[in-house]
Amino acid sequence: METIISIRNVVNQFGALRIHDKLSMDIYRDEILGLVGGSGSGKSVLMRSILGLHRINSGTITVRGREIKYHEQSHIRDWGVLFQGGALLSGLTVQENIELPISIHSDMDSQTRSELAQLKINMVGLPLEAANKYPAELSGGMIKRAALARALALEPHILFLDEPTAGLDPIAATEFGALIKYLNSNLDLTIVMITHDLDTLFDVCDRIAVLVDKQVIIGTPAEVTQSDHPWIKDYFGNPRALRAQKSGFKE
Amino acid sequence: MHTAFFETQENDDSILVSLKGDWVFANVKDLELDLDNLDLTKYSKITFACGGLVELDIAGAWVLLKKYQDFNDQGLDLEFKGFKASHFKFLEHINDVAHSGELPIEARDNSFRNRLRRFFETLGRRASSGVEDLGQVANSLIQGSKNPSRLMFKETIRQISETGIKAIPIVVLISFLMGVVMAYQGAIQLQKFGASIFVVDLVAISVLREMGVLLAGIMVAGRSGSAFAAAIGVMNINEETDALRVMGLNPDQILIIPRVLGLLIALPLLTVIADIAGLAGGMLLSVTVLDISSIQFIERVQSGIGLTTFLVGLSKAPVFALLIACVSTLRGMQVKSSAEELGRLTTVAVVQSIAFIIIADGVFAVIYSGLGI
Repeated sequence: METIISIRNVVNQFGALRIHDKLSMDIYRDEILGLVGGSGSGKSVLMRSILGLHRINSGTITVRGREIKYHEQSHIRDWGVLFQGGALLSGLTVQENIELPISIHSDMDSQTRSELAQLKINMVGLPLEAANKYPAELSGGMIKRAALARALALEPHILFLDEPTAGLDPIAATEFGALIKYLNSNLDLTIVMITHDLDTLFDVCDRIAVLVDKQVIIGTPAEVTQSDHPWIKDYFGNPRALRAQKSGFKE
Repeated sequence: MHTAFFETQENDDSILVSLKGDWVFANVKDLELDLDNLDLTKYSKITFACGGLVELDIAGAWVLLKKYQDFNDQGLDLEFKGFKASHFKFLEHINDVAHSGELPIEARDNSFRNRLRRFFETLGRRASSGVEDLGQVANSLIQGSKNPSRLMFKETIRQISETGIKAIPIVVLISFLMGVVMAYQGAIQLQKFGASIFVVDLVAISVLREMGVLLAGIMVAGRSGSAFAAAIGVMNINEETDALRVMGLNPDQILIIPRVLGLLIALPLLTVIADIAGLAGGMLLSVTVLDISSIQFIERVQSGIGLTTFLVGLSKAPVFALLIACVSTLRGMQVKSSAEELGRLTTVAVVQSIAFIIIADGVFAVIYSGLGI
């Protein structure tokens, strides 16, 4: 398997509080990786470290063979990010939100740009009427989809999703999960997602990375659920998780 | 010059177009240019060979698909060969979604008459909503004073500290410098007539009557007006005001009244401080440049300038405070959804506060001169 993101001996520390202690893991190309962990276990910090939004105390993170530097823009074209609240720019319509990164990173003419933006709107399953709406006029589910369309705007290799199904009703969450799977299999996309939605976790993810004890335990859902770490046992041993496992488990 | 994205092989009336290289987002512009230069109308059999493609993403596939549709429209017969499965899935998918509908584009009548109509419509809407909101502020002031809560009292104290005490350094600095400048400019003119002593009158009257309260007001409008509008606006966007409401707390009472009351108390006090600083500035210059001793300066202010001059200036402060607080909190309350709106209304809050202060100052001048004060 080809490694697309490699994390080596990463240490993240806030004051005296160490969150990641020499954490190492590999993320493979074309996989869907679910990132779970208790509150404060540093899921978001880890994701922000990979994205270069957070300065790591030591260690190295390499994405597609190049090292990540804090606040450096050299990797922008490698990834798209879906932030938890969507983070659409509130002063722009959905279409303008998607066209913005395209117009910055490409010199294509405006006709092609708007066609591509509409294509992305189509791809994520938004109705075309949504294109001219402002984020404030959209429902929560539509905001997630619009934000996903923006994350896909630059044809990324890696997609980071922060709680993609949080706040969605079960039907919308299942649809969103299916959409993620679909993008993964059709666009050669590597997907890294933070999620606490157990159904999505078992339904969609190829591997699960659990952040515990400042380290990471990573493996297929079957492997991870067999782990005898107490927190993981608690997490996957509760009735909700068991129900989700029974119905889920990706073949 | 970029590398070619395809090669052509002619054979009588058939042509083979072999795609190669990266058909990706970054190359879209070059791809379109190259494809536009490709003329296939004279061939009866056209084959696209895709085996040499290195990378293809949605943007690249979209360009190819558009060209394919163009050729189709021209009545040409195209054949694709050697697609990798993953590439083919792209195209199929894109073909599906691309035919699912066109974006309806709103026709917008931009004639002069229509724009004029829209302008007045917006103006009317803003005016009516402005009156409505002003009524809301007034109403909440009345309601709040009927049954004041403890929370309101605490918040008022905090607002006095935020808008008053923390503004002291900048108000002192500006007023002091203003006093110095006025004394200096006055001295240059009055020295010509040997009437240097009247610099004291000039500085004292202008600082006490006008500049002290005006400077304090403008500084507070800039500092606190923007802060009021932005703070309340963000609370609106974050649904914090709604949260207060469902907890049974009236956001008007907690957000508007303390700010209005706080400023009503803080601005007169700031005015007094600005007056003192302005006089001190004038005195410093008189002593150092004009050979007027500090004793002389103080005596001249005491004997020549009546208490009324000071009170006239001070009487404007509560009115200014009311204007700033009402306009700014009102604008904050009007923020509903977007960050852009927040920026616009914060600007409006500051600009209108300052404009209203100066207009009110003019009205005061007319009234007081009418009264002969």
